[in-house]
Amino acid sequence: MKQIAVAVSLAFAAVGTTGALAQEKTIKIAGFGAKSGVVRSFGVNSEAAMLAAADQINKAGGIKLADGSKAKIKIDYYDDRCTAEEGISVARRMAGTDALVGVGPTCSNVAEPLFGILQKKVDDKSDSGMQFPIFSDVAIKGGLARISEWSFRNVPNEMTMYSSLFYWLKTQHPTLKTVFGGVEEDFAHSRATWYVVMKDRAIANGYTVAGESKWLLADTNFATQVREMKKANADIVAISAHPFSTCGVLKEMQRQGVKPKLLVGLTSTSSLETMQGCAKQAEGMMIPTSFAPVNKEATAAANATAKFKGSADLHSMAAWENMFILKQVMESENLSGNAKDLASDRRKVRDGLAKLKVTKGLLGDTKRTDDREADKPYLFVQAKSGNWVVLHNPL
Amino acid sequence: MDFYFGLAQIIGVHTLIGLSAYIVLLTGQVSLAQAGFFAVGAYVAGMLTVLAGWAILPALAASAVLGAVVACAVGFPALRVKGLMLVIVTLAFGEGVRLFFFNFDYQVAKGGVKLGPLGSEGFRQIRYFPENGWTTMDVMLFIWVFVTLAMALLWWFDRSRYGAVLRAVGEDELAAQSVGLNLTAVKVSAMTIGGAIAGLGGGIYAHYTTHIEHASFGILLATFALAYPILGGLGSVFGTLLAAMFVQGFLVEGLRFLGDWRNLLFGALIVLAMNVRPKGFLDAPTLLGLKRLFGGKSGAA
Repeated sequence: MKQIAVAVSLAFAAVGTTGALAQEKTIKIAGFGAKSGVVRSFGVNSEAAMLAAADQINKAGGIKLADGSKAKIKIDYYDDRCTAEEGISVARRMAGTDALVGVGPTCSNVAEPLFGILQKKVDDKSDSGMQFPIFSDVAIKGGLARISEWSFRNVPNEMTMYSSLFYWLKTQHPTLKTVFGGVEEDFAHSRATWYVVMKDRAIANGYTVAGESKWLLADTNFATQVREMKKANADIVAISAHPFSTCGVLKEMQRQGVKPKLLVGLTSTSSLETMQGCAKQAEGMMIPTSFAPVNKEATAAANATAKFKGSADLHSMAAWENMFILKQVMESENLSGNAKDLASDRRKVRDGLAKLKVTKGLLGDTKRTDDREADKPYLFVQAKSGNWVVLHNPL
Repeated sequence: MDFYFGLAQIIGVHTLIGLSAYIVLLTGQVSLAQAGFFAVGAYVAGMLTVLAGWAILPALAASAVLGAVVACAVGFPALRVKGLMLVIVTLAFGEGVRLFFFNFDYQVAKGGVKLGPLGSEGFRQIRYFPENGWTTMDVMLFIWVFVTLAMALLWWFDRSRYGAVLRAVGEDELAAQSVGLNLTAVKVSAMTIGGAIAGLGGGIYAHYTTHIEHASFGILLATFALAYPILGGLGSVFGTLLAAMFVQGFLVEGLRFLGDWRNLLFGALIVLAMNVRPKGFLDAPTLLGLKRLFGGKSGAA
């Protein structure tokens, strides 16, 4: 009889505990990006970084709410397959859940339509666009946050980074005069980066553009483009392409014996994928990036992300930073965390993000601009013996 | 609910592009040009509402008309060939259209911002619906009015002499020609109607995504356009709708929770569906069964 009484007591105790746990508030953050196709690694790494950051925040107690209680963060991550239609569908799905904010997407061609369906100006009653804050970590094409006042980005400013890189190269290698551009023509980010950023900044710093060759993201043969490159015989080859086609071009350059004096790459290429795909051929490539494990905090973030099977690069670490920025915003804006206050909590998150002037990043302070973009600290890295090593810190 | 309304929008637009291929398939022609007509409609409608300030209805009418004109123009030379040759010709046309928009720049400054197509960077801010206060449900209902109209038109064709002519050409060109049918006129008319439906679908697509670019109108979209009527069955116009619901509603959206496994299952489930229903979801015996079930005459499907 005594045993039964103990068992019943334990059962009640268990139910009581479950009930208490059920009452613990949860703050849901939705992540989304490409977890399929050639840019799959970006989504996988961002998800891992978000999970790692949430784990760290939760272990430290979670997020403090307006009533003084603490809420744990829960991450739901959605694959948008890097397509506009799926990105919009995922955004609508996220907005239909109790998620307070979305972190993503990977691709600029998803960010553009997605930001387009958001309300353009806050409180504009005539605009029926979706009212859901999005805080981008990866989609890097310039100026996208301007599309809607509900969109925010924590991506580096390529114009500043490449301006600084070409200026530095000019001072370090004054004898180099010509640049040849290679561009992944069908990807919004890489195309815009060559035509709007790299080419422009190279010319502004006194270089002559000796020519340019174009290819597509899914291309596997680069013989013609590299022949054009060889013919131009430029001092510097600047490749504005993602790791997959960058590696293809670099291997073809090796095959044809094209050896420029300097190699410059796209910021998104300063990743593990490039080292896994073509470390030998990428040797010496210089890239400006907003992340490298150069301090204790950045190393710890990279290690924590690795535990969730992701690798740290400028994109995934932006997702990591976003989580801590969101924690700061949620606590300063006194969220209720109650289901009935979902819309007002989302609005508080948006307003809190809009108020930010400076945020703390892994490489230092990031300035926030009036058009909801980031001006992140950066440094130059170089491929050396299968690793990205810091070449120069211009700041 | 907005998510479901949004999903219904996607299914609606995909049904339209499927229907545009359906009518061409009835004549026995396999066209991969539908994505090209869809792209023409998308860019035309987008430019008319954003740059010219047109209302959505006349813009969509223009996209349908231009889709039809382009399809008619393509149909005459293209339909001189058939079978695999036609597939190649229409594929080349679709890629040609995509590459045209890949290189097409036409931007106009409006309110201090440059708007319009910008080559591979696409055409952003096609925000007619949100700027005019349309809710997701409004847009969904708007789309489904057109889907219903297109389906009703094709359903009516199927029951008219014209529908019988289309199927006769599709079944046996030689026999159709021997009874005096003008093959070119039949095929080109089907292509033209298909072009109009695809153009209309493209116009709507541009407005619900708010941003279009060349990559959205590639071979994958052309393949989906063909897959819907084939998967759904050519016995009835409703097969295309069923297939669009299956692919977009179940395979793409319904299985999203499976994460990476979704992509593996996607192809496998289509192969399985085609094996289980080799003549489509709504094949002749199924249609006959449905007719009996709903009290209709059990005539030939």
